[in-house]
Amino acid sequence: MLLANHPLLGKTITGDTASKLTIRAAEDVARFSLRIDPVAVQAAGAAFGTPLPTRIGGVVEAGGRMALQLGPDEWVLTAPVAESDAIADAFAALGETHSLVDIGHREVGILVEGEAAALALRSAIAFDVEAMAVGTGCRTLFDKAQIVLIREDKNRFRIEVWRSFADHVWGILHAVSREIALGL
Amino acid sequence: MSNFRIAGKGRVNRSRQLRFSFDGVDYTGYEGDTLASALLANGVHLVGRSFKYHRPRGILTAGSEEPNALVGSNRGNGRFEPNTRATVLEVFEGLKTESQNRWPSLTRDIGAVNDALYMLFSAGFYYKTFMWPKSFWDKVYEPVIRNAAGLGKAPTAPDPDSYASRFAHCDVLVVGGGAAGLAAALEAGRSGASVILCDEQSEIGGSLLAEPTAEINGQLAWDWLEDTNAALAAMPNVTVLPRTTAIGYYHQNFVGLCQRLTDHLRIVPDGAPRERMWKVRAKQVVLAQGAIEKPLVFAGNDRPGVMLAGAARTYLNRYGVKVGNWVVAVTSHDSAWHAAFDLAKAGVEVAAIVDVRGTVPTQLVAAADALRIRTLIGWTVTGTKGRLRVSSVRVNPVGPGGKVGGAETIACDTLLMSGGWTPSIHLFSHTQGSLTWNEDGQMFLPGRGKEECRLAGAGKGRFGLKAAFEDGAAAGSAAAADAGFAAQPAAYHVEGELSFTGVTGHELPTDRDPGHAKAFVDFQNDVMAKDIRLAVREGFKSIEHIKRYTTNGMATDQGKLSNINGLAVASDALKRPIPAVGLTTFRPPYTPTSFGTFAGYNKGALFEVTRKTPIDGWAEENGAVYEPVSLWRRAWYFPQVGEDMHAAVARECKAVRTSVGMFDASTLGKIEIVGPDAAEFMNRMYTNAWTKLAPGRCRYGLLLGEDGFIRDDGVIGRLAQDRFHVTTTTGGAARVLGMMEDYLQTEWPDLKVWLTSTTEQWSVIALQGPNARKLIEPFVEGIDLSEGAFPHMAVATGKICGVPTRLFRVSFTGELGFEINVPARYGRAVWEKLFEAGQRFGITPYGTETMHVLRAEKGYIIVGQDTDGTLTPDDAGLSWAVGKTKPDFVGKRSLSRPDMLAANRKQLVGLLTSDPKTVLEEGAQIVLDPNQPVPMDMVGHVTSSYWSAELGRSIAFAVIQGGRSLQGKTVHVPMPDKVHSATITGMVFVDPENTRLSA
Amino acid sequence: MLLIRCPYCEAERPEVEFTYAGEAHIARPADPSALSDDEWRDFLFIRTNPRGRHFERWRHMHGCGRFFNAVRDTVTDKFSMTYKAGAPRPSDEEIALASSATADSAASVKDARP
Ligand SMILES: [Zn+2]
Repeated sequence: MLLANHPLLGKTITGDTASKLTIRAAEDVARFSLRIDPVAVQAAGAAFGTPLPTRIGGVVEAGGRMALQLGPDEWVLTAPVAESDAIADAFAALGETHSLVDIGHREVGILVEGEAAALALRSAIAFDVEAMAVGTGCRTLFDKAQIVLIREDKNRFRIEVWRSFADHVWGILHAVSREIALGL
Repeated sequence: MSNFRIAGKGRVNRSRQLRFSFDGVDYTGYEGDTLASALLANGVHLVGRSFKYHRPRGILTAGSEEPNALVGSNRGNGRFEPNTRATVLEVFEGLKTESQNRWPSLTRDIGAVNDALYMLFSAGFYYKTFMWPKSFWDKVYEPVIRNAAGLGKAPTAPDPDSYASRFAHCDVLVVGGGAAGLAAALEAGRSGASVILCDEQSEIGGSLLAEPTAEINGQLAWDWLEDTNAALAAMPNVTVLPRTTAIGYYHQNFVGLCQRLTDHLRIVPDGAPRERMWKVRAKQVVLAQGAIEKPLVFAGNDRPGVMLAGAARTYLNRYGVKVGNWVVAVTSHDSAWHAAFDLAKAGVEVAAIVDVRGTVPTQLVAAADALRIRTLIGWTVTGTKGRLRVSSVRVNPVGPGGKVGGAETIACDTLLMSGGWTPSIHLFSHTQGSLTWNEDGQMFLPGRGKEECRLAGAGKGRFGLKAAFEDGAAAGSAAAADAGFAAQPAAYHVEGELSFTGVTGHELPTDRDPGHAKAFVDFQNDVMAKDIRLAVREGFKSIEHIKRYTTNGMATDQGKLSNINGLAVASDALKRPIPAVGLTTFRPPYTPTSFGTFAGYNKGALFEVTRKTPIDGWAEENGAVYEPVSLWRRAWYFPQVGEDMHAAVARECKAVRTSVGMFDASTLGKIEIVGPDAAEFMNRMYTNAWTKLAPGRCRYGLLLGEDGFIRDDGVIGRLAQDRFHVTTTTGGAARVLGMMEDYLQTEWPDLKVWLTSTTEQWSVIALQGPNARKLIEPFVEGIDLSEGAFPHMAVATGKICGVPTRLFRVSFTGELGFEINVPARYGRAVWEKLFEAGQRFGITPYGTETMHVLRAEKGYIIVGQDTDGTLTPDDAGLSWAVGKTKPDFVGKRSLSRPDMLAANRKQLVGLLTSDPKTVLEEGAQIVLDPNQPVPMDMVGHVTSSYWSAELGRSIAFAVIQGGRSLQGKTVHVPMPDKVHSATITGMVFVDPENTRLSA
Repeated sequence: MLLIRCPYCEAERPEVEFTYAGEAHIARPADPSALSDDEWRDFLFIRTNPRGRHFERWRHMHGCGRFFNAVRDTVTDKFSMTYKAGAPRPSDEEIALASSATADSAASVKDARP
């Protein structure tokens, strides 16, 4: 197999000594964009092996698979890379009309962790990140880059961003982590 | 050098002495000083020259409203800022500053000749002086004005600083950290609401910083302040931001705050931003911005040493600096009396208090008597003397009926003035809240607001400490309550309250000709009372017009000091009451704000997103020269040692035509269209017919807007009955997807089809040239590449180099070609593998320039280069791509509008220059008769133009009126060197029979 | 920056997530070929451009991706309400009800008199 690479491969930003903030590139995952009429959401959940969330912003996570509802008929599904083909096969067998498109390579994940995680994101995200409920996600803008933001825990966020925008997001996070380390 | 610092007074840190310089002279100050307070402590009043007349000017205020004391400040390492207000610039060790608008020196300034020529520079002088002759504009006026205009020198080097931004959401934002703001923040903080308190000064406290003797709830003001700051700091729900100016107030309680982070530091840590723009969304806002003292309008009110009384009091009480040794105060308000008293108590000689009012509170007169200060009640000031510093003031009694009596001259080195106070309603005005005129206080006060906003304290006309505290507490608790937090405002007991009555003076009465009095209304813009009167005489009646004609209240002043005085003068001249004259609009930012703060992180590499393909790194390592294409940077060409662009492109072109070249096409937009109605959707969107396209086949697709003009194009592959792989132009990707979503969601929601952007899912490697198949064959699994099984315009899925691929047999060069789509993370590895294997064919990476040349040789257009949003398919020679029998598609109806069928529409054609060596300029205009008189009748323009190495000559495309019917005709292209002639031709220059596609 | 309520996300989101998409309730004719040139011109180019209440389209571009409709005042920039694409043009009563609901909950006009 050929070597895979992406713009942030192996990159990490470690904040100050107190580690209020750590930013790192996430492990690769399999990703699919699922479009389906919400009336068929149960069947889709059965195909995915994990029930799908039923309101926009909802996240369901189980057994290493994650589903986030982004729009009325749009979900993003993630899973370990090795399970990619199995998921594609399962949906191919789904009787309901739908669209499943592999977007595994379209995006890269960035993990923003630590006490100052929300503060770091506030540098370039306009909505109230502090008030975002744990276990929810949404599409939004980070500066000029569209991202999907998931709050995995109070102090842990995951950014999913199209690969060619990743450097830009990373560059701002880098500058922000410096400010936070300096206590400014 | 004299020392004006008074022992035991002020809050500056006497244990931290700091050295700084002004105009090359070294001075010392203390931690906590501003440049203004430190200069005054050294006896320096003269700090600048005025904008138009180059009049010597001194420090007028102690705050951000300062119009005169604008200096160049140098923080080292290229960090130079012009027009820094000395009154807000914090002194640090090693600070270097300089005066502005003077040459050769501040004390001997040539430009001061303007002052003698002041009659030339009256209201509207720009409009009057520079009217004619027309030719003088370019040669005389422009250069002269350019030289003379402006204050300060813009730095020429790039700004070395970095800037930050931050969004914040809070329940209550309190703007202003004086008595009212602190009380509001305390109430809101105690209620549990999330609170942001900002203040523009380095220390929170506002006017309390200059009120050491007042007692608040039994505590001295500064003790109370210390406890309060500690209390706020201890509340985790409260964020206190000193050095932070609220600069603009926008819809739905969105307020911009500029926070100065490092300007005051001698050593700035590496990577520390200079300033941060806070973008605050508050549920409730409390504006507690206080009030700004008004100057009085009288002849010579701008001399160095003439200063606002409140500023003098601040310098004394907060900074421990006496502003002079020999002081006269002129006022229409009580507050200047208190300034005079404080100075007298500190040992300064106060020669007189001149009050223009007929009566003043008796306790003030009694207090003056006790301090042996002479009082002149009902007197006026009619002039000052002193070249670089005031040396005397001319005062006259005003008798019954306003008759001005004989003059008396009083010597002084400082003249304090106060014309009362103007509530700072700027931010409230930003919200388009209405204002009401308060006749008693002669001030505008906030009327009805349009936002979730309250005003408190002096900023709302509630003067005095107790009023400010209680009003602030009420506003803070009410704001908290409206945000959902219960609060009960505390009561405040204040001792040592100052009397605070007064009137707004109009221009002071004088016994001299007011037409010659240099009585300034706007110090920064050098506008005098007589300028405003002149504007009225010349017919200007609207205050907005008067403002623009005279420049009163323009630029950074935004009416802070000049507004009410200007209005009063205009009101007198127009014989209309002030509210009938109206008020000009206050605009953001409240104080000057650096561009860097607005840019935030978006500078240098982060100025804009730079999108890079997965193969970009390889191109960089292999010497690619880049060009920007929308947000992408793309390899433009790959020069070898010693090659220029021309040579590199010729070599790259030759390689593709003779063997094989490789090209990174990853930036092409890609959209996956999936669902049972996919073909129907394609039929409706694109001009072509899609129903019969078999899976495994591709077709060129042309997309129009509803207006019938070409919007985009690309090759589209049908992967399955219900799945299309659409490609778009690089720049059109997002636009096309948005347009498709629009139709799908709002016009055809019944269609069962979904769209997903896959632009970045796939890395695309174009292999083009007669050896392309031979090169990839060994690496491809699961696809029969033979001509019969996989012909031109075929698509298949399989594997290449062991990774999944969507392989397209397509050509944008006219050669045998493939576009290899592989999942993006494998793009570079597959590229490298093919590059290595291609060595035996002399494989040549090529960039966008070669791609452009090759496609032009074949007559393929580029949407956005050869089209400009006004070309129909027929104009572009693409009628063959329009499905004539389809009942409808986006744009179809427009194609039969009369204008679209006109005979003389511009049509895309080929052009061959008479001189084959001439490469026309893209964009050059085309004429039929080169000898016609100017302006010539332009019939079209060149859209694409290249050197074709293959043909050994230049080729071009152009749009020309009725061009296709002019085949073989000669046209003319005027270019800077000469007029070139060219022949109109077809657009295919190489291999018109397309034999090479199937080589 | 405005806050705009997305009727699909059922949340107020910052303006940067949205794109403006022109006047609302202008349906593409079912059979464009049946229209006269003037009728087609009107569909393509003629818009009301009112001073005041405007029915307009927005897209929650960097959010749920949906197009929806809004009633906004072009003088004050205030949104009275937003509603899903395909829903009929709301009546005066519905608009008044929607704007008073937002005004009441937020007490949008305050008397700032001293
Ligand atoms: Zn939405």
